[in-house]
Amino acid sequence: MVPLGRVSATAAAVVAANLQALLGLNTLVVRPWPEPSPCLVPTRGQYDASLILRELAPEGESGALRLGLINHDLCLSFLTFVFGEAQLGGRAAVVSLHRLQDLDDGSRAPQALFLERLAKVGLHETAHVLGLPHCRAPGCLMRFSGGLAELDRLGLEFCPACQGRLAVGRARIRRGDVRAPFGSGPGLG
Amino acid sequence: MNARLRVLLVDDELAMRESLAAWLRQDGHQVTKAAGGLEALAELERQEFDLALVDIKMPGMDGLELLRRVKDAHPDTLVVIITAYGSIESAVEAMKAGASDYLLKPFDPEHLMLLLEKMARQRDLLRENSALRQRLNEGECIGFAGLVGQSPAMRAVFGQIEDAAPALAPVLITGETGTGKEMVARAIHNQGPRAFAPFVTINCGAVTETLLESELFGHERGAFTGAVKARRGRLEMADGGTLFLDEVGEISQKMQVALLRVLEEKRFQRVGGNQYLASDFRLISATNRDLPALIQQGRFRQDFFYRINVLAIAIPPLRERVEDIIPLAEHFLAYFAAQTGKANLVLDSRAQRALRAYPWPGNVRELRNVIERAVIVAQGSSVGLDKLTFLSPLPEADSSAMTLAEVELAHIRRVLKSQGGSVSATAGVLGIDRSTLSRKLKKAGLEPS
Repeated sequence: MVPLGRVSATAAAVVAANLQALLGLNTLVVRPWPEPSPCLVPTRGQYDASLILRELAPEGESGALRLGLINHDLCLSFLTFVFGEAQLGGRAAVVSLHRLQDLDDGSRAPQALFLERLAKVGLHETAHVLGLPHCRAPGCLMRFSGGLAELDRLGLEFCPACQGRLAVGRARIRRGDVRAPFGSGPGLG
Repeated sequence: MNARLRVLLVDDELAMRESLAAWLRQDGHQVTKAAGGLEALAELERQEFDLALVDIKMPGMDGLELLRRVKDAHPDTLVVIITAYGSIESAVEAMKAGASDYLLKPFDPEHLMLLLEKMARQRDLLRENSALRQRLNEGECIGFAGLVGQSPAMRAVFGQIEDAAPALAPVLITGETGTGKEMVARAIHNQGPRAFAPFVTINCGAVTETLLESELFGHERGAFTGAVKARRGRLEMADGGTLFLDEVGEISQKMQVALLRVLEEKRFQRVGGNQYLASDFRLISATNRDLPALIQQGRFRQDFFYRINVLAIAIPPLRERVEDIIPLAEHFLAYFAAQTGKANLVLDSRAQRALRAYPWPGNVRELRNVIERAVIVAQGSSVGLDKLTFLSPLPEADSSAMTLAEVELAHIRRVLKSQGGSVSATAGVLGIDRSTLSRKLKKAGLEPS
């Protein structure tokens, strides 16, 4: 796991623990990387998530999966914002803490709710890296969430079909078949 | 609803094209990319798409021009225009030109998901409409799909259709040529939970083995000489609905093995393809061949037979259900009379007798053809014997050497057999009292069971 700039150590530890517990991935939090300033889109005041993925896992390079954590808001060229972004069946994912700390009325979310949301987005994006597409099963963590209300309705669990796909994805990781593909995939929102 | 869409993404901007394509793929859609209008039109010639996502501002052919050409040549492909903030007038123009919706860049993630769901629903509606139109064109009614019959044998068939419809198990329909096997298959489909999904048919006896493989499994572009365009097979077309394999007894053993694998694994590859595709279809097969006999001769695989013959429906030939002949004839008479604007046509008594006496080697199909011809040549409100043209000679001609009593007895035997030995039912069909029939039977030395 790669903090990008200043990121709360508690937040990183919670995501790492969930990746370990629910996905069975040995997770190491490395020393923070500098903020990816080339990925900033000045006109939008947001960071382009697809560019960050290329920073995390340059095309053709292989190695461990990388999950970036960043405090800033993320976007894609065609989407107003994303909670996170991942390379489907690739090597890298990134999660933003920015919007997860808010409530609908604009006030700060309680710490427990914030950390639960962060764990959900971290698991969702990492599962994309393991090869899982979006799922339509109600409550499944791989269901798309377009906003915080939908994210809060998701359980911290995968449906049986997605659990099966996760087993296949983990087998790929064990085989060491981990490369960054060209392009990037969708996030939770 | 099947949420998976076949999307053609048209955008001249490489980064936008790549990242949106990746996003759509991860959402489970099948995506093809095109960098401009001409490339997009070429892709549309090669394969079918449910949805085209088209950027309005492109060099050369712009999005609006492409939209018009897509709607002209591929009206069932939905088009959504992608436009930037500030060009709302173009979006309105696109909607007038037939676009299903538009997206303002950058999109709200929730809006994009809702739009894709809406397009999947629209695609499903288009498919349902197409299936309904096809049925209407065939002059059918939904329900028992034009099946007519009052004999005990046909009532049993109707009961089997009702039992089979809600199940998803494969059905094998057997019967002589022209007995209405496809009508029974359609009735099962129409009565079941897949009624509004496609009913896809293929006559396995009408095509060569190579063509049958391509027709069933589809093919990729360049899979063989002449495969200039990728094409969906019947297995794919039947996704969510029913696949009807007519003349299944004619399938080669090699194809039986291939189909057996599809039925067991629920997935297949197009000819020349390396990607596995899934299709959720219900299988109904039909044959006029004696499949157990073909198995004995080693010409049909036993494992394939067991797989397709989970539920079996045998349709009796028309000669064994004489009492259905006149209701069927009247049904076709009313249908063709309405088609040709000749209302209130009736069969006179001599015509009715001839129809009942005829052995109908071509079964219901032959009866339908005889009545269709009769309606065309009919004048006035009555259809007489002179208007009926049979394929085989009438039995009267064959029985010219028989005495009247012999002809009568042969007819009684035939009707008695069709009524399962019931004297009352036979008397009803023959239009005589039960006691009269009993007397005739006793005189002929026939004791009803």
